[in-house]
Amino acid sequence: MADNKESKPLLSGFMLSTQLMEVDGCTRCQECMKWCPTFAVRPDRPGITPLYKIARWRELMAKSHSLRAKVFGAKPLDEDEMKIFTEDTYSCTTCGVCGTVCEAGIRTVDLWEAMRPNLVKRGNGPWGKQAAFPTMTKADRNPYLGKQDDRLCWVPKDIKIPQSGEIVYFAGCTAAYRQQALAVASVRILSELNVPFAMLGKEEWCCASAMVRTGQRDVMAEHAVHNVDALKDAGAKTVLFACAGCLRNSEIDWPRWYEGYIPYKNMPLSVFLREKIRKGEVKYKVPIKYTVTYHDPCHNGRHLMHDMGKDWAFEAPRDCIATLPEVKFKEMVRNRALQRCCGAGGGLKAGMPDLALDCAKARVKDGEEVSAEIIASTCPFCRRNIMDGRNDAKSNIKVLDVVELMAAAMGLDTTIPENPYTKYQEQDVLVCGPTTCAVETVERKAPGKDLVGEAE
Amino acid sequence: MAFYTLGLTFNLVILLTVIVLVVWIYGIYFNFKKWGLGSTGYRDELRDSFWLFLATWIHEAFKDGIWVFLRTLILDVLLLRRTLARSPVRWVMHLSMFYGFLTLAALSGLGLMIDIVEHFNLLGLAQQAEVAKEIMALPFDIFGYLLLIGSTIAVFRRIFLKSVRDNTSAYDAFLIGAVFLITITGFYAEWMRGNAFLVGNLFENPIYAPHFALIHTILALGLFALVLPWSKYIHVIATPLTLLANRGGE
Repeated sequence: MADNKESKPLLSGFMLSTQLMEVDGCTRCQECMKWCPTFAVRPDRPGITPLYKIARWRELMAKSHSLRAKVFGAKPLDEDEMKIFTEDTYSCTTCGVCGTVCEAGIRTVDLWEAMRPNLVKRGNGPWGKQAAFPTMTKADRNPYLGKQDDRLCWVPKDIKIPQSGEIVYFAGCTAAYRQQALAVASVRILSELNVPFAMLGKEEWCCASAMVRTGQRDVMAEHAVHNVDALKDAGAKTVLFACAGCLRNSEIDWPRWYEGYIPYKNMPLSVFLREKIRKGEVKYKVPIKYTVTYHDPCHNGRHLMHDMGKDWAFEAPRDCIATLPEVKFKEMVRNRALQRCCGAGGGLKAGMPDLALDCAKARVKDGEEVSAEIIASTCPFCRRNIMDGRNDAKSNIKVLDVVELMAAAMGLDTTIPENPYTKYQEQDVLVCGPTTCAVETVERKAPGKDLVGEAE
Repeated sequence: MAFYTLGLTFNLVILLTVIVLVVWIYGIYFNFKKWGLGSTGYRDELRDSFWLFLATWIHEAFKDGIWVFLRTLILDVLLLRRTLARSPVRWVMHLSMFYGFLTLAALSGLGLMIDIVEHFNLLGLAQQAEVAKEIMALPFDIFGYLLLIGSTIAVFRRIFLKSVRDNTSAYDAFLIGAVFLITITGFYAEWMRGNAFLVGNLFENPIYAPHFALIHTILALGLFALVLPWSKYIHVIATPLTLLANRGGE
């Protein structure tokens, strides 16, 4: 027993009083255990499930705040116990399926994200390489050690992008530095559809999602305020996101840190493109002769379904896929609000890469079970992790973004111009001729220094 | 038939009940105060206020307006919509226990008041009180059976479903066992009095009936006051409040 008589308190802030109530609201019905993606691949560790985490938080709180503690004095926290609790609390992708199925209506994602900063403040969290997030992001304004001046280095020469306009495409760090196929496809489509869009360029900073998810909130204030101000300065009325993580942060987290009025609305790129399809503005030229399934990212699915509606969260990307010529769409058994998380979220990929990988393999298996050839998604993190799972499981399944599928079907040239980050690109890409498309895998040529998307 | 036995007088039982209520109310206050340690907003600092908890809860519960509050109250709190969406069996279990437990608690409180009226012949209503008690016998039976059904399902789930059994702690077992025990003793006490609903005089035992009734009463009071605010049973209070604060989790 590593009791510390001078132990720091468990609760030092960050928790709403209603969240403390939620902890007592758990009925221990065990429903969350059935759905938890990390418990599914670590069935020997029930401690990582919401039910047990809540129970232990309650027990740890009771050491200082129970009736016994009031009468006889608080008990110090056992540091060994705290270490286990911290590991279990960080063995979570914050996917939120537990909250979706919770009979007590507990908002679990917010609860985990309130527990974690307490652990950070206490010196127990974050976990593993997650600790480097704030330093790296603060230094370069992105977690890939890329230069801010290179934010738009991937933009094809024939496309001119202004820095201000009513429609702004917020690419995100991963598309700008690591999965440029997605960024190129996005601007190609917008350009083809004559959408007068702008980008922030070097004024676009990391959305800071990874920091909030891991309980390291310090950087968030600066990045949220900067990004919102930059979008306002650019005159944005609609901000398009092809990255689920950035979208969630812009919709939910930034407003928590920004005190002024936010005049623009956030929109998933798939929703914007669906409108264009419905208006008949999208013309397809090349058939996509693949069996495609769709993986709902947690960040623009479950996390946003109450804010933006289930149609935007779940149906828009499916509708886009459904319109692709000759595509065969198949739904995985777990889909929409009950989808299985890929394992990349909540800082898990950096903190506990093995666990993240096993979650991804489980999702690849879900795809294989419905004989999908392509798993499409709208989240670069999901894509990265599912690709890693695919590679590890030696599966033939390919992983692409919905936007890339659309660009390919529209017959657009999605070649990524040579740039300083070309050597870091590793992704499945669609290579299309005039009548057919084939998926190829681009291998990375140089080791990256990524923490958010990868854990080398 | 005499109800008070083993040296317990009516006055002593009233005193016991008052103590129980005081402990219960303090327990609820204690929990609200504990929850009040938290902040009132995302970036707010920790507070330590019973009243700020109430204010925060009201703010959250009514954030989307009175209609959303009422919808949540009806669909999620009273009809347990989220439970039904996940498991019809668990829905029956929870609904039975929820309504059985709450109604029996309310009926017991009412019964106590009628007892007081009868005992002191307040306003000369002793006879009417006696009649009222007889009328209450049927709802007592109905909601008693409801609680029995719910607690039986709960016990069986914990015993026969492996996944549930594996994650059942001693704590769960004690609390569900306690509910089951109180329900069973309540029924047996009623049956021992004779002329009982469904079983007639099968278990009639006028000598031990008062003793058994007393055991049941003490167990129920103990559970209600001494365990509820200080254990997992607090979810009886915290879960509906959570559902309302989170607008049904939607």
